[in-house]
Amino acid sequence: MKIEMELNGRPVAHEIAPGGNLLSVLREIGQFSVKLGCETGDCGSCTVLLDGEPVNSCVVAAARAHGHQITTLEGLLGDPLMKELQHEMVVKGAVQCGYCSPGMLISLYAHFKASGDLSEHALREALTGNLCRCTGYVKQLEAAQTVADNRQNESGGAS
Amino acid sequence: MWELKEYRFAASAQEAVALMRQGPGTGAYIAGGTDMFLHPAECDFVVDINHAGLSDIARTPAGDLFLGAATTLHNIATNPLVADFAEGMLIEAAAHCGNRPVRSTATIGGNICNALPSADMAPVLLALDATCYIADADSQESLPLVDFFVGPRATVLEDRLLVGLALPAEAGTRRCASYKLTRSAEDISLVHVCVALGIEDGKIETARIALGAVAPVPMRAVLAEAQLVGQSVTEISPDLIADAAAIAAGECEPLDDHRASAEYRRDMVRVLTRRQILRALHDETTITKDSGGTVA
Amino acid sequence: MSDRKTRSAVGHNVDKVDAFKLARGEAVYTDDFTRTGMLTAKVLRSPHAHARIVKVDVSAAMALEGVIDVIWHTDVKAIAHTRAGQSYPEPSPYDTVIMPHKARFIGDRVAVVAAETTAIAERALKLIEVEYEVLPEICDMDEALTRTDVLVHEEADPLGIGGGGKSNMAAHIDKQIGDVDAALKTCDLVVERVYHLPRVQASHIEPHISIAWVDEDKRLIVRTSTQVPFHLRRILARILEMTESQIRVIKPRVGGGFGDKQELVVEDLVSVLALRTGRPVRLEFTREEEFIAARYRHPQRITMTTGVMKDGTMVANRMHVMADTGAYGSHALTVQGNTGQKVMPMYPAPNIHFLVDCVYTNNPISGAFRGYGAPQGCFALECHMDEVAAELGMDRLELRLKNHIKLGDTDPLSAKLGEGKEGLERVIRSTGLDEAIVKGCEAIGWGQEKKPSAPHLKRGVGMALAMQGSGIAGVDWGAATVKLNDDGSVNLAVGATDIGQGSDTVLAQFCAEELGIPTEKVLVLSSDTDLTPFDVGAYASSTTYVSGGAVVKAAVKVREQLAEVLGSHWECDPGDIVFADSKSTGPDGQTMTMAEVALFALYEAKIQPMATASHMSNESPPPFAAQFADVEVDPETGQVQVLKFVSAVDCGTVVHPRMAEGQIEGAVAQGLGYALFEEVLLDRSGKVLNPNFLDYKIASALDVPPLVTILVETDEPSGPHGAKAAGEVPSDGPAPAIVNAICDAVGVRNYRIPATPERVWRGIKEESPE
Ligand SMILES: Cc1cc2nc3c(=O)[nH]c(=O)nc-3n(C[C@H](O)[C@H](O)[C@H](O)COP(=O)(O)OP(=O)(O)OC[C@H]3O[C@@H](n4cnc5c(N)ncnc54)[C@H](O)[C@@H]3O)c2cc1C
Ligand code: FES
Ligand code: FES
Repeated sequence: MKIEMELNGRPVAHEIAPGGNLLSVLREIGQFSVKLGCETGDCGSCTVLLDGEPVNSCVVAAARAHGHQITTLEGLLGDPLMKELQHEMVVKGAVQCGYCSPGMLISLYAHFKASGDLSEHALREALTGNLCRCTGYVKQLEAAQTVADNRQNESGGAS
Repeated sequence: MWELKEYRFAASAQEAVALMRQGPGTGAYIAGGTDMFLHPAECDFVVDINHAGLSDIARTPAGDLFLGAATTLHNIATNPLVADFAEGMLIEAAAHCGNRPVRSTATIGGNICNALPSADMAPVLLALDATCYIADADSQESLPLVDFFVGPRATVLEDRLLVGLALPAEAGTRRCASYKLTRSAEDISLVHVCVALGIEDGKIETARIALGAVAPVPMRAVLAEAQLVGQSVTEISPDLIADAAAIAAGECEPLDDHRASAEYRRDMVRVLTRRQILRALHDETTITKDSGGTVA
Repeated sequence: MSDRKTRSAVGHNVDKVDAFKLARGEAVYTDDFTRTGMLTAKVLRSPHAHARIVKVDVSAAMALEGVIDVIWHTDVKAIAHTRAGQSYPEPSPYDTVIMPHKARFIGDRVAVVAAETTAIAERALKLIEVEYEVLPEICDMDEALTRTDVLVHEEADPLGIGGGGKSNMAAHIDKQIGDVDAALKTCDLVVERVYHLPRVQASHIEPHISIAWVDEDKRLIVRTSTQVPFHLRRILARILEMTESQIRVIKPRVGGGFGDKQELVVEDLVSVLALRTGRPVRLEFTREEEFIAARYRHPQRITMTTGVMKDGTMVANRMHVMADTGAYGSHALTVQGNTGQKVMPMYPAPNIHFLVDCVYTNNPISGAFRGYGAPQGCFALECHMDEVAAELGMDRLELRLKNHIKLGDTDPLSAKLGEGKEGLERVIRSTGLDEAIVKGCEAIGWGQEKKPSAPHLKRGVGMALAMQGSGIAGVDWGAATVKLNDDGSVNLAVGATDIGQGSDTVLAQFCAEELGIPTEKVLVLSSDTDLTPFDVGAYASSTTYVSGGAVVKAAVKVREQLAEVLGSHWECDPGDIVFADSKSTGPDGQTMTMAEVALFALYEAKIQPMATASHMSNESPPPFAAQFADVEVDPETGQVQVLKFVSAVDCGTVVHPRMAEGQIEGAVAQGLGYALFEEVLLDRSGKVLNPNFLDYKIASALDVPPLVTILVETDEPSGPHGAKAAGEVPSDGPAPAIVNAICDAVGVRNYRIPATPERVWRGIKEESPE
């Protein structure tokens, strides 16, 4: 079957298998930031945004993207918030093998966009869907905390 | 890979049922798909119900809560209409189901319809006296949730569609507490206990103790509930609560599996039921004084 | 040697050289790549734990449109080998062939399909008909040891099968220093306990994946997620009857390995299929296959027998390891050897006895996993130290301080137990262990009274000491090539394998340090058997210490070449020229930037400043760790919450503080899982019951407690810039420290990990039956 979706702001039409997951379709069309780690919705390497919400694309039907907006890390490379998150992740040493990094970045991005709760617990919660086997999540949380602090300082300054 | 011939979209509940029955071959409904992609149904086509108008959350003036079957767990966990319902027990359950990205698509209907003994929304909905609304081709039926499950992975539905769940507001005060016991922070339940106590004039008028992952289907511990009814909130003895918890432990029918033994699960029903009753009664001091229960 | 302040690159938190591209999600891993006409391979696996594969009927599968090839054992020549990625000759038995005649575990290879798409390949698997002759299976370690009527490997193989086709013994070790039995009789107290270690899986998030094709020169190219590209090339050449020159192995970025990729797991299959079909072939493990057909940390049962005097002096120590290697003996001897060799030297008693019985069973395969045997041994020994202290009525820290290895001590055990042969004697020439203990105690609040957060909870603290090695002495070696470019940048080509741990960055720092240039001017290439010099690969904590040594040597050679050129240009002694801050300065103040030097060398002197150097060490200096856990236990439910975990680690000079911390934090997260929830469960016939992350839990962001990581710097005389290793040692201590803390809290010990809520609950119940 054929689906039409808005991928990173641009219309994309693609022929898919009715039982295929969104992960395979996205990789097929060159979105290599979307990784396969488990295909059971547990590891989060395949996290993308579906209408702005983080989802595990391995447990989302490809067909479901029809008529919807899909955003991958590729589509956010120019976004100031994403750039800030990437920068902090690198500088803080949160990227080891890097396989989990795009998924984590998407989850953090979605959390920052949606939520006012930037407590450590909320940030940990935001990362529950992204398993990392290399790190102890310390550096990612440090990076996220820095971005959170920057935001709080900014909004503190503005008001 | 899931060998599926066709993926259909339904624009309404009626259309969903019609598409389901249209053939050729066999079909299945799909909502979030978070369960389907792990255990693909052997069928020729699926009917997607995400655009069938089943994603609403509503509160009646009387305080009843209505949850569309295709409402996502993330929406439930973050919706202000749900926040204060049953002292937050519902959002607590939704927020502890799976992980954040899973909750964006996983639906409450899918959670109930997959009918796993460990389905995490089931005990909380049982404790809150949920009614299911089920659509047939051109009729609708309602049914108490207790009667919905017929066995592991089996419900009364057949090819009918669950459209939503209604949760009645409690007449007087309702006190609730729940706990999901797991091996690691984000995990399937080993034991899930939900307690809801309806209180009027200082007495427990209604009691609901619902248990997950300790029987072939999510269940209520009705004998234990009966122990509590009529008791005074301030004078109820810790022994009676412990007795009720022990009765609940006797009522459940846990199995040994690779996650935990039946023996452990049964004892955890006892421990956690006692603690949740105490917590629901806001009696945190007794919890900590009595034989070492925790505010788990 | 210069210290941190005067060093420009080593010791600094430079940006990890590959981090930005990884954070941008660039196409850099094995699978982020495609070739026209690429086929997908899928493996048909045995449903029987033990069965002869009599006949495989592939006709229906071959008839399916889109199926290009199906192979089984009649199609591939059986050449015995080991899949362990170790130096030649490997100390692992040659007990494996590409396609076996006999399935030895549920999940063993029976047939492999190559098809146009994954869906077609999966469909084809269902069409293959197999005739099995089912054999009785043997899945219990003790049964495997005693029974000879059922043999997992009956081939009488001259190449290293321990039991020689007559028993199920895969590896046996019996090494003694002094006389333990005699010494035990003289001790005031003898404590014997048995400890049980689970089967756990590395769970790197990137699965095993390889792509192979035949290029225009008819060479076989294998792009693969591996820790050991050079070993792979050698093994592939042997089993495919090709020469190394006909094969090229390319290691792109790797999404984690932890030992599980120190092994040939899928590379032989894609190679065979690519050679047969002439098409590129890709094979990626599913997560389920990772749990069934990759490798585990060996499950072990360890009996510790320790004799001490009243004052705590350890007189005799025996460790008896019983281990299950599963269906094949990859790393069977060396992992089990390490269980004693890396661990027992911590307390150098005069009488030490180390015994191993490692058996074949019809269970899935064990192999290398971070720590390589040491986490098992460390768990047993460090729990046992607490038990001995308790029996003695002595403080557990005191007992450790009294007996632990000190600066200048020799370590006779590591000499007795080299990589499967007599090794080299080791003298401790650097240790920060005492400082680590002091700082760790301070950070955890050792000895202070700690109140639980609620009266019904119990609180406790625990500790563990650990030591490891830095490479395999006298065996591991690596080489590096440094080449200067016109603009003053250098290419650094290393065989050393960056699998995420950051070795490219550390090696770039060494290179930058020696040449006086910023790290970002070093362009690292790792590793490609055509383009980079040899290295054994990423294992045994060898990269910083061994490969680092090679990089330092190569960079120094290039610096000397430049000094030579400038010396004759400036008419000064080359030895008086200083290279720092991206420039070179002569004795009379002459100066040139590195770019000017490069241009001068290339276009005036007409030489290519370039050098290759190799490095091997006859030593393997141990890094040390002191680790501490503060836990709270709910005695009624058995739930354990780690409130804080402290690691104080001596890894010599810290080359990159943040990356060293990252290694330690990651090791602790894995160790936490080992302690509390990770376990691959098998049924009686060796079938994996939890082959997914839904039921095999690894630590998530919510599981990891606040971690305190303290780097204790020492200067190891034999290491590059004083460095030792950091990757493995912190993975040894978390499990014993946590279990010791649980025991401190509730007075009941978990002799078996993971200490799941149910096990803790049961322990308490059995201790105090109502
Ligand atoms: C990583 C991960 C973690 C998870 N953790 C948990 C957990 O902690 N607790 C828990 O309870 N579950 C968990 N789950 C299971 C699952 O996500 C939930 O049960 C989820 O709520 C299912 O909803 P869904 O919409 O995705 O269902 P789907 O997969 O779309 O459907 C599930 C089943 O219900 C049927 N169905 C769906 N909607 C309807 C309807 N309206 N009428 C009739 N039939 C219908 C489908 O045909 C199918 O048989 C987890 C899943 C994953 C992948
Ligand atoms: S690949 Fe989708 S969650 Fe792991
Ligand atoms: S950095 Fe390797 S999995 Fe996270």
